[in-house]
Amino acid sequence: MNKLLALPVAATAALSLSAGVFAGEINVGSVAGVTGPIAELVAPIVAGRNLAAEHVNDQGGLLGGDSLNMILADSACDPKAGVDAGGKVVNVEQVVAVVGASCSGATNGMVQSVTIPAGVVNVSDSATAPSITDLEDNDLVFRVAPSDAYQGAALAKLAYDSGSRNLAMTYSNDDYNAGIAQVFEQSFTEMGGTITANQAHEPNKASYRSELSTLANGEPDGLALFAYYGSSGIAIIRNSLENALFDKFFAADGMFDVSVIEQIGADNLKGNIQITQSASDYNDVSYQTWAELYKATGNDPKAPYAAHGYDATFLIALAIEKAGAADRSKIAAALREVANAPGEIVRPGEWEKAKALIAEGKDINYEGATGNVDFDGNGDVAGIYGVNTVADDGTWANELIK
Amino acid sequence: MEQSYGIFLYIISLATMGGIYAMLTLGLNIQWGFTGLFNVGIAGFFAIGAYVSAILTTPETTRHLGGFELPYILGFSASMVVTALIAWGVGKVCLRLRSDYLAIATIGIGEIFRLVLKNETWATNGPRGVSMIPKPFESLAEPYNQLMFLALVLVTVVVIYLLIEAACKSPWGRVMTAIRENEPAARAAGKNVERFRMEAFVIGCMIMGLAGAFTAQYLKFIDPNATELTTTTFLVWVMLIVGGSANNKGAILGAFVMWTVWSASEILTSRLPDDMAIRTAYVRIFLIGLALQIMLQKFPGGIIPEKRPKPSRSPE
Repeated sequence: MNKLLALPVAATAALSLSAGVFAGEINVGSVAGVTGPIAELVAPIVAGRNLAAEHVNDQGGLLGGDSLNMILADSACDPKAGVDAGGKVVNVEQVVAVVGASCSGATNGMVQSVTIPAGVVNVSDSATAPSITDLEDNDLVFRVAPSDAYQGAALAKLAYDSGSRNLAMTYSNDDYNAGIAQVFEQSFTEMGGTITANQAHEPNKASYRSELSTLANGEPDGLALFAYYGSSGIAIIRNSLENALFDKFFAADGMFDVSVIEQIGADNLKGNIQITQSASDYNDVSYQTWAELYKATGNDPKAPYAAHGYDATFLIALAIEKAGAADRSKIAAALREVANAPGEIVRPGEWEKAKALIAEGKDINYEGATGNVDFDGNGDVAGIYGVNTVADDGTWANELIK
Repeated sequence: MEQSYGIFLYIISLATMGGIYAMLTLGLNIQWGFTGLFNVGIAGFFAIGAYVSAILTTPETTRHLGGFELPYILGFSASMVVTALIAWGVGKVCLRLRSDYLAIATIGIGEIFRLVLKNETWATNGPRGVSMIPKPFESLAEPYNQLMFLALVLVTVVVIYLLIEAACKSPWGRVMTAIRENEPAARAAGKNVERFRMEAFVIGCMIMGLAGAFTAQYLKFIDPNATELTTTTFLVWVMLIVGGSANNKGAILGAFVMWTVWSASEILTSRLPDDMAIRTAYVRIFLIGLALQIMLQKFPGGIIPEKRPKPSRSPE
């Protein structure tokens, strides 16, 4: 009797022991501007990253059953803090790759000073500065967020096609909005439009009346507004409408939020505002699959860069699986293989399927919530843009820009 | 093995930033600790130093003024010279003011410098920052590149420390303390108070500019967010007060201790579940405030309080 029992017990013990040996944790850095100027945008992005890790862990984990462990560190949108946070995840936590670090400035400092010298792959989910494209990165810096150069041009075309020829423009003086504004100005004038006035503004002021009355000189058709909705955008729209200075607005994705409609009122905005968004094709299966999953976490799937956070993390997981080892040096090459065509298409949430395909030695091609996420030679993606307008029911309606 | 090597690299980076902060606290110590000048414009002088060095050492680009590609030693020297000149101009205007009024004036001027640097896009690339700044010794293999940079920082801190120590023990330093403690008495003893205050202000700001230059070179990137007040002004003040105002050893110790608290506390908070980790990021800022409160309430002199130099001839 005892002997009979002993055998399965010993076997189980041996199994659990071996599982204990192989099932470890694989750390991936999750660097984000948790505190600092874009704190309110960061929480949904981090939720997106964590959802991807959750999918991986619930569906069999990485490699031999290791769990993907996201290590959060705060870049505070400051290059000093970004370098410090990057150093901690890369050196102390020994991560195999890093997602982040939110703001372009923090990302720029972190990749140049920490991740590139250490040979660690960085996939950024929201740094859009064109200067990141030019870095000598030994093919270690990727981003699923498209460079501003694309969005500024898309918005300029949208404004021109809607019949506006004379526009005033203002941008919040930060790296993100200034960058899009610059490209917008250039593209709009190249198309034959005129910028009647262009002025930077500082965020978080109580009133923008004086700036707006200067901008309204020269009879512009509307205002191109590059700002974050919370820190200055809503105030600018409100001041414009109150003083009857502008009633038509073109904006980039820092302005995209339900609170814009809530605070200004759908009736005031209907037909008068167009916001481009580095978006997803909302009719695409990949996006819809992801949106359902993300909604279940209690977050709004339309939050800026939340889908990018998911895709960046999921791609890193796929690359680790493809590389066959949690080895820093092999991830960059694997990342291109799993992200780009050719290969069998894998969509968000389909970790089990992807894992099986990789195990069979088949090529895969991740089609993410943000689009096809095919990396070019610089590690950039082209990105797709949508335009948001106010629908009859007082919510944002999104349409893809072709 | 990997793990301990990683921690070794992290300690190097911790000490490097700590060293850069030690330059800032030493600069502030000359102004506040010894002379009693309430300078809250640290960020402004830090920013000037950082941008001057960044612009002079970067390769040519269309994004900002540059293409000089000078060696970093020249970048460092130039940033000290430029900061000193600007500090002299500021001192001419502001140093007539005393205590709180000087604080208000310097915080305003510091902000003006930061806003100018942020808005003069042709020179500084505005909010998008200066990228691809060369870092001294970066061509060496890891960890020697980081060790050499750390050595450069520490040697600089030691040199500044020795110079200031010598200066403070000299009659010059005693005049400074006299001005801090009792300005009319110093004046009555025939000292040119204005000139001494100006000297302390300019030398302090020059060292802050140098710290800015080191930061730009270390990060390889500088933008207006890197000169944000929380970490380049208030944190420096906390470091000096915690370490021990008017004591150079205290200033250096305060910089290393507070930077370690600031940075290493995150290693603990990142172990928490994520929604808590996001909240605890703010707790780290709170910790700094708490440290300041405790030190001010319980140990107003700091970890290493001021030691008055003994008279050279003891009256027997």
